Amino acid sequence: MPREIALLDALVPTLLIAFMISVMLSWAMDWLFAHLGLYQYIWYHSLFRLAVFICMFSVLGLMIY
Amino acid sequence: MLVSVSTISKSRTISLVRLALRDWLKEDAPTMIYIMKVLMACLLAMWLSLRFELDQPRTAMLTVAIVMQSRTGMVFAKSYYRLLGSIIGIVVSFLLVAFFAQERVLFLVSMAIWIGFCTAGSMVFRNHQSYAFVLAGYTICIVGLPATITPELTFSIGVTRISEIIIGLISASLISDLIFPQRIGDLLTAKIRRRFSDFSDMLRAMSIEKIGEESSKYAALRIVSDVFELETFRASSGLENDASRHYRLRLSMLNAEFMQVSTSFHSLEQLLRRQNSTGNPQVVEALFSLYQLLKTVISVEDRSIVNEIEARQLATALKDLRSSLQQKIDLVRKALPNSLNASERLDFESGAELLRRFVDELYVYTSTYASLGSETTEAAKDAIANHPPRLGMHFDSLAVTLAGIRGALSLAAMACLWIFADWRSGIEAITIGIITSTLYASSPNPKKTVKQFIFGAILGSVFVYICNFQILPQAHGFLMLSLAVAPAIVIASWLTTRPAFTTIGSGIFIIFLMHIGFNSAYSANPITFMNDALADLFAITTSGILYALIDLTSSGWSRRRIVKKLRELVVSTCLEQLPQRPSRLETRARDLVQRLDGGHRAANVQDKQVIDCLLSTLEIGRAVIALRDQMNEVDDIAIKLQIADCLKRIADLYTSPSSRNQIDAINSINQAVSALENIMVATKLPQFTQHQLLTMLHFIRCALLDNDSVLSLHNPNAKSREGAIYAT
Repeated sequence: MPREIALLDALVPTLLIAFMISVMLSWAMDWLFAHLGLYQYIWYHSLFRLAVFICMFSVLGLMIY
Repeated sequence: MLVSVSTISKSRTISLVRLALRDWLKEDAPTMIYIMKVLMACLLAMWLSLRFELDQPRTAMLTVAIVMQSRTGMVFAKSYYRLLGSIIGIVVSFLLVAFFAQERVLFLVSMAIWIGFCTAGSMVFRNHQSYAFVLAGYTICIVGLPATITPELTFSIGVTRISEIIIGLISASLISDLIFPQRIGDLLTAKIRRRFSDFSDMLRAMSIEKIGEESSKYAALRIVSDVFELETFRASSGLENDASRHYRLRLSMLNAEFMQVSTSFHSLEQLLRRQNSTGNPQVVEALFSLYQLLKTVISVEDRSIVNEIEARQLATALKDLRSSLQQKIDLVRKALPNSLNASERLDFESGAELLRRFVDELYVYTSTYASLGSETTEAAKDAIANHPPRLGMHFDSLAVTLAGIRGALSLAAMACLWIFADWRSGIEAITIGIITSTLYASSPNPKKTVKQFIFGAILGSVFVYICNFQILPQAHGFLMLSLAVAPAIVIASWLTTRPAFTTIGSGIFIIFLMHIGFNSAYSANPITFMNDALADLFAITTSGILYALIDLTSSGWSRRRIVKKLRELVVSTCLEQLPQRPSRLETRARDLVQRLDGGHRAANVQDKQVIDCLLSTLEIGRAVIALRDQMNEVDDIAIKLQIADCLKRIADLYTSPSSRNQIDAINSINQAVSALENIMVATKLPQFTQHQLLTMLHFIRCALLDNDSVLSLHNPNAKSREGAIYAT
């Protein structure tokens, strides 16, 4: 994967795109969890959300580098 | 002996310590936690920006300082709007640079127009949305102005700024979500409970002896600000993710219902007051005996109810009362003495009608409140789908335009000085000037706010001087850097937690963080710093002067405008073809007043006058809407025309209040009432419609005749009025 990609002729780090994608993914997952009522099994919601986000972002980041 | 004394004093000390500890946990601990959170988020933002080698860590830190608030949801909401505002501002500055980079006069003119537009926008919208407009306005100074000097760097300036802002937002959101998060949900529940118990206290306090007192007016003012505050919280809680959509819909329903029920209560109170001063005491007693029924129902063990479970019981009790109320009214009516004349009987009828409406609305309000405590049932979901209430935007377009002009003027003044005096700190001055003149445009008393802001700016300059030239040169490494910036951040964030000093705190924050002396490396220069600090003070003073010159919120002029707008509302309610809805009238009227003042002070006479006018607008407006609703049921052309004439006369009276118009309106209502009372007509109409029309007309007539009403205050010939009424 290239480390920078051209977005409308402006060079943007691919990591930024990965960041955006993981934000979207974690929102979707958040919605799903809230909808299925899975959050009642989790002690600290925001910490869990952050952890999931970091996992996703790291996986995507490792795929780039 | 000695031993026992010492044990007693020991146990006493322990209990005292425990008490002090509990107080500390309740009051001071949250403040301390908040200050720590601000500091941590600032340092995190600083570290991240330095780590990413961004040009100006100060922007990230400033962002943190601006969006940090004690409630997590509010931080999310403000972050979202800050991001939105900044992005729009940056895009517009790219456009302006692309068009007018060579022509600084054209550039500044189009910038002034944009800033005027944004200032106006920040007046129209509320809270966080208003803040987004402020940002879209002043970001253009921060990105666009440096770009006029080096147009080729515009894009990178813009991108760096947005990255820094994002870093600031992420740090602030993370810290406030992860460390001791304070949910808005809890605050909302507490607020709703308190509001309900306050309101029922008010209901329980009303009695035949106290009817003439003014106490409910202060409550009315508080209600106005409460409604909008709750709306802000409701909107912000949406971003917190743990409240469901249905819950939030129910909250806005609750708000709309609360406005209606409080207006109905006020109308009832006014009617009783009027009858108490002029009418037959027997009628007043009869009405109070009916009201007593309601009072017994809403008291639980001689206090107001405090939570949703009790509200559910109350809702059931109110439902029973509602179904039995008509019988009780009939009973009381029979007990009335035969000596009463027609008008006194109508007095009773309109009172009973209002009471019935009030009980209906109170029942609806209570059951919505009760439903907040439980999971949504299917029935409640349907009710929500049919009833989408919204608080719209209603404003005085002239005031908004003037605010826009004021924003543009402050840019123009600074820009002229910059160009003609070839001022080195011109850009700095323009930026700060625009920040102050857009940020405080919607505050209740900008003059006072700007004074506080100047004080904060001076303190901030002193702090930043000490930090930049005494401490920073000796600091090595990130830890020392953090230690150097921490004291000012702690002091400023402590000040922002004190309601009286909030603006001073934000002044310190803005000036301190804008001038802090490092980018990627130490970069403070005493001469530039002194020049810039002086430019800041100068710019803030200028915008303060402009606020004083174009005063839109605290002058007599603005109050007169609002009173006029309120009267126009009554006129449009009388004349417009559209189907009228009470909730629309309520939000429009209240929004106009809410802009006048944050709603904390009702001490001053002019404010009271506006509140009186608001209440009377709502009172008359609701009655007119009810009248027009019933009018559609009438088939008889003559009656219809008669009532339409009444509406027109009332509209005339509210367009230009004079005793002439007042007499006309009252005469017209008198005719309509006698036409309706005619037996021939009465047989043709459904009984319910006839009854409703009569009571509403009578209610309006009483309100217009009232000596204490607001209209008489604006009546040029107030003296000749007394005679005029007796003449009718």
